[in-house]
Amino acid sequence: MGKIMGKTISEKILAKHAKKESVSAGEVVVCDVDFAMVTDTRASNTIKMMNKLEKSALKFTQNTALVLDHYSPPPHPEAAEIHQKMRQFSDQANTHLYDIGDGICHQVLPEGGHLTSGDLVVGTDTHSVTYGAFNAFGTGIEGSDVATVMASGKLWFRVPESVKIDLSGELQPGVWAKDITLYMLGKYKAEGLNYLAIEYGGTAVTKMDIDDRMTLCNHAAELGAKAAILEADQKTIDWLSQHGAKTPQPVFADQDAHYLFKDHLNVSELAPQVARKHHVDDVVGTDQIDRQAIQFALIGTCTNGRLDDIRQAAHILKGKKLAKGVRMIVTPASRQIYLAALREGLIEILTSAGASFEAAGCGTCVGITNHLVPGDSETVISTANRNFKGRLSNDAADIWLGSAATVAASALTGFITDPRQVVGGTWRNV
Amino acid sequence: MSNRLIQGKTFLLGDDVNTDINCSSKYLPGKDSEFVSTVAFDKLVPGFAQNINSNGGGIIVAGKHFGINSSREQAIHVLHIMKVQCILAPSFGRQFFRNAINNGLPIIECDTSNFKAGQELSIDLNQGAISIPSGETISFTPLPKEILKIIELGGLLNFITKHPDWNFAA
Repeated sequence: MGKIMGKTISEKILAKHAKKESVSAGEVVVCDVDFAMVTDTRASNTIKMMNKLEKSALKFTQNTALVLDHYSPPPHPEAAEIHQKMRQFSDQANTHLYDIGDGICHQVLPEGGHLTSGDLVVGTDTHSVTYGAFNAFGTGIEGSDVATVMASGKLWFRVPESVKIDLSGELQPGVWAKDITLYMLGKYKAEGLNYLAIEYGGTAVTKMDIDDRMTLCNHAAELGAKAAILEADQKTIDWLSQHGAKTPQPVFADQDAHYLFKDHLNVSELAPQVARKHHVDDVVGTDQIDRQAIQFALIGTCTNGRLDDIRQAAHILKGKKLAKGVRMIVTPASRQIYLAALREGLIEILTSAGASFEAAGCGTCVGITNHLVPGDSETVISTANRNFKGRLSNDAADIWLGSAATVAASALTGFITDPRQVVGGTWRNV
Repeated sequence: MSNRLIQGKTFLLGDDVNTDINCSSKYLPGKDSEFVSTVAFDKLVPGFAQNINSNGGGIIVAGKHFGINSSREQAIHVLHIMKVQCILAPSFGRQFFRNAINNGLPIIECDTSNFKAGQELSIDLNQGAISIPSGETISFTPLPKEILKIIELGGLLNFITKHPDWNFAA
């Protein structure tokens, strides 16, 4: 027998959960799942699927969380009814429940200590890849899958091919993980890394704080990735420990692991990036944008609604006012982030500048709550992850995407603006 | 495993078909799957739903990334109502691919550039062979046997009900 070929992080996590010595890309395996999550957009379907199985089959519900985040707060009776059903189901089946205003699924799961390094986590949302920031294999699934996990504790997976992307150098002050992910979307295009697991590594990742690492992994959903995984380091382990997670079991790739391909980006020269209207992969540097006016500025979502994002915005807008005619809404990704921003005085800074805060949830991202609809021919600059026509309930409005720093700088000037032009100096570690 | 053959007529769609927009009620609030099945894909190919419904179903042959962005199982339920027997495309959105398997809809990854509308195909899922009217056979890599088993039983919930121990060989 020859030596077993080196393995990627994904192959190792899936092998461990399949109780096999090793697995290889392309193989179908049945894995023990550590944690499952259901959001309110897919809860009706999940409960319908659950009802197709016998109720007595619900053996693994204690490792499931129901999260009321997309319709937070509910915009119509139908959404309120879904929430009622979820609360009822959670009580009966003894799952975890995160109610309106508690936060977005991808924030409350790590904050709640529900996952740790080396885990296998599934959720009914494409951005479940976010958990890779903690060296967990996180991926999006649907109702049949969750029902199956609640009944059997297991799920089938096709082991993905992996790609390795080395991010060397150091981001300049004013440039963030969001700019890296937008650059990657410009390069590989939407769905360009379909089915694949991305392993990001390198000095730029090591230097990132957890908030930025979550952005990096989260946005891989738009690349079509099945997972986006980082190695765990001391920062990861400390963060998980602070949030009451189980003992991390970090998983590293072998030196001779097989990757479909490897890529490299030195981020030191990277400028802030924006995705132009309608297409998440139509990406350019802010230096290439010529006086593009904006009327609406949004900070929030599972991509960029974290404390570091709110800090960036407050740093830019402290003691200043939004440009005339610009509206700005900030939606913290969770109640904990809201409270932290409150304690740091960030909410006072931004509210004084003219921004409004909303209950934690997905509201800033998708126009299903119908409480931040842009007007016809208005331009939105948002930290969200998707900008297709009509995403905010108005086909006649344009949505551009950028980092929280770029959104705040643009809200200040009224035009899409490189944040480095409005604040100088070293603001990364202030 | 049964040597399942799929026989049907081809209906063509292009690249990057978003099934959330074209085959679900995500943007048709209050409408059910029955309704969606009468208008599905009409924005891309006018009359598509009517054509496939009046034929009593068929095989969809599409371009790359079929089911892009889609996280909705409802898309598969609608395709079942339309009696879509199988979908051929060079690649699928990964969530759609998974949902299709979990709901017992055969999908095949293959080069679809040479298919024409209205061809009668005969597909052997297990052997990985598509016979076209000219007598030619196009081969594709069959899905892994575990996935074929889930599809054969009509989806994941049927599979797990019948095989709570996850025994694919049974």
